[in-house]
Amino acid sequence: PRGARLALARTDGAVEVYNFAANYFQEKVIPGHEARSVESLCWAAGDRLFGAGLGGDITEYDLSRLSAARGVDGGGGPIWSMAANGTGTQLAIGCEDGSVKIFQVVPGGIQFERNLDRRKGRVLCLSWHPSDTHIVAGSIDFFRVIDVTSGQTVQRIMVNHHVEKAKRECVVWAIALLSSGTVVSADSFGRVQFWDWEQGTLAESHTVSTSAALSLAVSEKEDSIIVGTSTGSTYQLQLLPVKLGGLEKRWVRTKPFQFHSHDVRAVAHSPTALISGGLDAQLVIRPLMEKIQKKGYDAVLRKFTFPHRRLVSCARKARLLLFQFSQYLELWRLGSTEETGKDGEVLPLCRMPEHLVQLKSKGPEHIYCSCVSPCGTWVGYSTASRFHLYRVRCDGDGVSLRKV
Amino acid sequence: MVSPGALRVVRCGGSALRGARAVFSADSKQVGRGYLLCASGDFVKVYSVSTEETLRLMGGHADLVTGIQLNPHNHMQLYSSSLDGTIKLWDFMDGIPIKTFTVGSKLLALYTLASAEDSVFVVIPKKGERDTFQLVSVKLTKGAGQDLEAKELSVVLDGVGASMKHIAFGREGAYVVSVKDVTLQVYFFKRTLLNRFSLSTMKTKGGDNRFSCVVCHPTEDCIATGHADGKIRLWRNFHHRKEYTYSTLHWHHDIVMDLAFSMEGTRLLSGGVESVLVQWHNESSCQKDFLPRLGSPIESISMSSDGVLCCTLHTDNRITIINSNLRFSRSIQGLIKSRDVKTGLVVDPRTKALVLNGEPGHLQFYSLQSDQQLFSLDIVQRQYIHQAGLKQSDLVKVAFSAQGTWLATVEESEEVTDPELQLKLWFYNEETQSFQLNTRINTPHDNHITDMCFRDMDELGDDSLILVTTGRDCVFKVWVMVEDTDPEAQQSVSWSCDFVGSYHNYQATNCCFSEDGSLLAISFEETVTVWDSLTWDLKCTFCHPPGNIRNICFGRLTCSKYLIGATDYGFLCCWNLLTCALEWSAHLNVVVLQPDPLSEHIAAVSWLSKESSLFVFKPNEPRPIYIQRNLCKEKILLAAFVPRDEPEMISSEKYLWLRKSQLFFLTDTQELMTLSRKSLEERLTPSSKQLAVEESLPVTPFSLLLGKHRHQQAQEDIDLGKPVVHNKQEQASPAVKELLHTPAHVLPSASFLCTIFINSLLISKENKSAEEVADEVEMESEKAEDDSDEEDVTAMEQEDTSHMELLGDVTCKLSKSQEKELRKIRKTDYSWISAF
Repeated sequence: PRGARLALARTDGAVEVYNFAANYFQEKVIPGHEARSVESLCWAAGDRLFGAGLGGDITEYDLSRLSAARGVDGGGGPIWSMAANGTGTQLAIGCEDGSVKIFQVVPGGIQFERNLDRRKGRVLCLSWHPSDTHIVAGSIDFFRVIDVTSGQTVQRIMVNHHVEKAKRECVVWAIALLSSGTVVSADSFGRVQFWDWEQGTLAESHTVSTSAALSLAVSEKEDSIIVGTSTGSTYQLQLLPVKLGGLEKRWVRTKPFQFHSHDVRAVAHSPTALISGGLDAQLVIRPLMEKIQKKGYDAVLRKFTFPHRRLVSCARKARLLLFQFSQYLELWRLGSTEETGKDGEVLPLCRMPEHLVQLKSKGPEHIYCSCVSPCGTWVGYSTASRFHLYRVRCDGDGVSLRKV
Repeated sequence: MVSPGALRVVRCGGSALRGARAVFSADSKQVGRGYLLCASGDFVKVYSVSTEETLRLMGGHADLVTGIQLNPHNHMQLYSSSLDGTIKLWDFMDGIPIKTFTVGSKLLALYTLASAEDSVFVVIPKKGERDTFQLVSVKLTKGAGQDLEAKELSVVLDGVGASMKHIAFGREGAYVVSVKDVTLQVYFFKRTLLNRFSLSTMKTKGGDNRFSCVVCHPTEDCIATGHADGKIRLWRNFHHRKEYTYSTLHWHHDIVMDLAFSMEGTRLLSGGVESVLVQWHNESSCQKDFLPRLGSPIESISMSSDGVLCCTLHTDNRITIINSNLRFSRSIQGLIKSRDVKTGLVVDPRTKALVLNGEPGHLQFYSLQSDQQLFSLDIVQRQYIHQAGLKQSDLVKVAFSAQGTWLATVEESEEVTDPELQLKLWFYNEETQSFQLNTRINTPHDNHITDMCFRDMDELGDDSLILVTTGRDCVFKVWVMVEDTDPEAQQSVSWSCDFVGSYHNYQATNCCFSEDGSLLAISFEETVTVWDSLTWDLKCTFCHPPGNIRNICFGRLTCSKYLIGATDYGFLCCWNLLTCALEWSAHLNVVVLQPDPLSEHIAAVSWLSKESSLFVFKPNEPRPIYIQRNLCKEKILLAAFVPRDEPEMISSEKYLWLRKSQLFFLTDTQELMTLSRKSLEERLTPSSKQLAVEESLPVTPFSLLLGKHRHQQAQEDIDLGKPVVHNKQEQASPAVKELLHTPAHVLPSASFLCTIFINSLLISKENKSAEEVADEVEMESEKAEDDSDEEDVTAMEQEDTSHMELLGDVTCKLSKSQEKELRKIRKTDYSWISAF
């Protein structure tokens, strides 16, 4: 979320961009691709959006043409994490093989710059220090701090201490490096821990959940953290003064929110709101009341449950509905009733709605848009590169499709 | 003020401890030096932390004590506030009031601050507005004299809650927090800034945001609040009007009654109706410890100043002291407050303890002398589940046999239409010193059991033991013991039904045996029936329409030919059993009718226009011996005569009825009261002083030696069969003890002490002779009153005096003479009845 835009990636590889200035409108949708999954997204060098996934490629998205523009092979197997530095000039990726690689963002693409110290264990999360001097990389059971200039690991901290079942591995799902030198880690034991990386000591530990803490985001002022857990709840931690007017400050778990029914995979912290998304396919923006001066449209909790684009098209005359899914289309005939009634009443159907046909798209690309003609004889859809048109013929119960 | 010698009503137990949080004295870590101070009714009670004993009772307030706080500048002093509008400063080590400050309006809560030099904070009702309260600071003027006026009030906060749990002072007194309904107010003293935060009043998802209590973190700026739906909120950053924040802890399913922070603030304790104490670590909802099964809902929690102990006050007036590692340490329990005293007040003949409902399903044995619960007998033997609307079994009736060897209990479930009844008979096991279940009878009656009594036959042995129960199913049943023929049975006897009687299909309401056990009176709605207990024949009936019979009882001793009954319509009737006619009747709305088991007196308590009055009378004369109007404001529900250990010396004829036994009342607020002639100080000081001496005594080898020696001596006494000497020594022991425990440097010269010491060892003659005299006076008066058996009594009196000379033992002889007397009268009774 650089400026007023939020990019989010779905598990099918689709990337959506929301514009906060325009009433949180879903501005752009880049359709997914079968071979492409997006684990990590980041904005760099102004308004350029990069995504990296388990396919091992770093992809830059062309936001004007709504397509993936250029792909560069990461060269380290599946990419689990990616982070851009403070100035947006460099990208760091964490790979399956335990390497952290730095890419230079150049006009028209990215360029491999160097490999940092490689250790065993996949790198699940990455975070740059705001001054771009260090990178912290979390993996299973430990995280390490890497000096960017020398490329050496300067600190390696085990996180699986003080847990009752020491045999279970402790996955560091999310990590953040604050400007004060504090490392915040969220792990699979549901703990959010604050470490002093120079000393390698644990400063504070908050068990926010009995299940895993999956995601973490820090506000720009570094006084608030949002944590998403696998139970679907998100927690806010705040840096608060211990005594009024005193200098000593402490992180305090303050508010729990339960907006999701499943894992919260991604969280973001905007200056006035907490943003979370998870496996229940919902994006929730929870405004922070104390940061908003006046009551208005911004002060409303919003859940993106309703699609912003047309996914259903209707053939009025033929009483047909066309539903668009990511890889197929479904054509339904509406049921009908003989009775009349007022608004809101449920009328008994004399004919049940009928599923006429399911049309699978060909190729790895996902369907971008679709339409059915009013007479119900033409069905068209398009992917990022192709356009398909079909003729539908209904004779009695049988339905036949013919590609035009 | 009551003139000396007049009777005064004394509260002696069961006062609600709920006025204020308990306070630990500052030095509770030293073993044997720790005190626990607790507001109890109009008094402040001082308990010893290590021995659970009530050390002293500090009385002086004229109304409920609402707040107690240690003086922050002198930890040996205590401030207490009361509804009577005064703040008192006490020296609780000696139990003496130092100063009394009169504020003038009702004080509802009291707070002290170390930083406030000479002022305390109290909550008072706002003038001119009902149900609005304000927190004011009161400047306690320094002046000579005991009674001072404190008129310098300055309002700190308006619109606060009336309970002391609704206000808390923050770290070092920097701010004060008040909660009311759904608003939280924080006032910063230095910055004179008032912040107000509101929660939503909406009760969504079963949530209820109303505040129930508030406490402040001792070292950090953090406020913990308890809520009506069981949530605990921890507020921080509350100096910002906008950017305040809170986190929530939730375990309780119902209202959080109280919270307490540990001294370092790392632990937070919370308690509620679940009777579970929850300890939260580091304000995290994942780390918590529990101390379950505390017996009854927690009302308030307080921590000692060093953090070693904490104590919880419960709704049933129990105090539990808990270690810092959340282990149950000990409990102080006086009269346990039960939801409803259905059993009535019964005296256990064995221990002379009052027996009544205790915890749900339990029977409590309450010792009147020590104001402690002796033990609690689980009757229902089922887990009590705290949940609104759940029907549970509870104990409704209890009866002891004359010697206390048998105990009968009735329990029923709360359902009105189909009560699940159980009659249980318990036998007292000498070896285990407790009651054992002997017989359990399911559904003894088809409907609620209204009354139950044993036939009191001291000398006829167990064979004559009969239990009578009356039920709303219009019958009464007679239960007898039968030998068990089954060789496999564990016990030799069990109980079974012997006779079922009814009268015109009326509901049986009360039953009562005559003193000799030959007659049984049972009231059936409007009618009293009298049955022969040998043949179970209906002898005669009495009726005083209109109105159902509420209470019946037989006269005792010389008046055993009379039967007393009280009706719903406010009549007290006395029937003569010989003539079968109404002897006299009086218009009196009698609530309680209680005969004294040791004399012929009967106490009746009436309830008229919001005051209870006491009438004591003898059945043979319609004029009461003693009337006390306006006994107390509360309605008296139950009364009981408890036999005294030693007859009290009473010179005045008017109070003769108090000689052998003491009358106790239980009001509807479950406060136990008694009538006493002594003034309060007189009644309390000797025991408390003695205790204090014992308390402060460290265990030295010398004291151990002395104790052993004394113990040996006592044993020797028993071996020699000289209880008299033993008694005397017991009495003298305080003097000796005092002598031995006083530090040597403050003792007077040995020559002075010698006489006291020797005197104390001597068996005092004067005392006894005085008692003798009193006794003779008593005898004479009895003679004068006695009109029917004059000859018998005089003969007996002679016998008595001869006994007296022979034995020289007062107490022993008295009981013997009583027994003789009883026997005599019983014999005469028989003759009357056979004639009749």
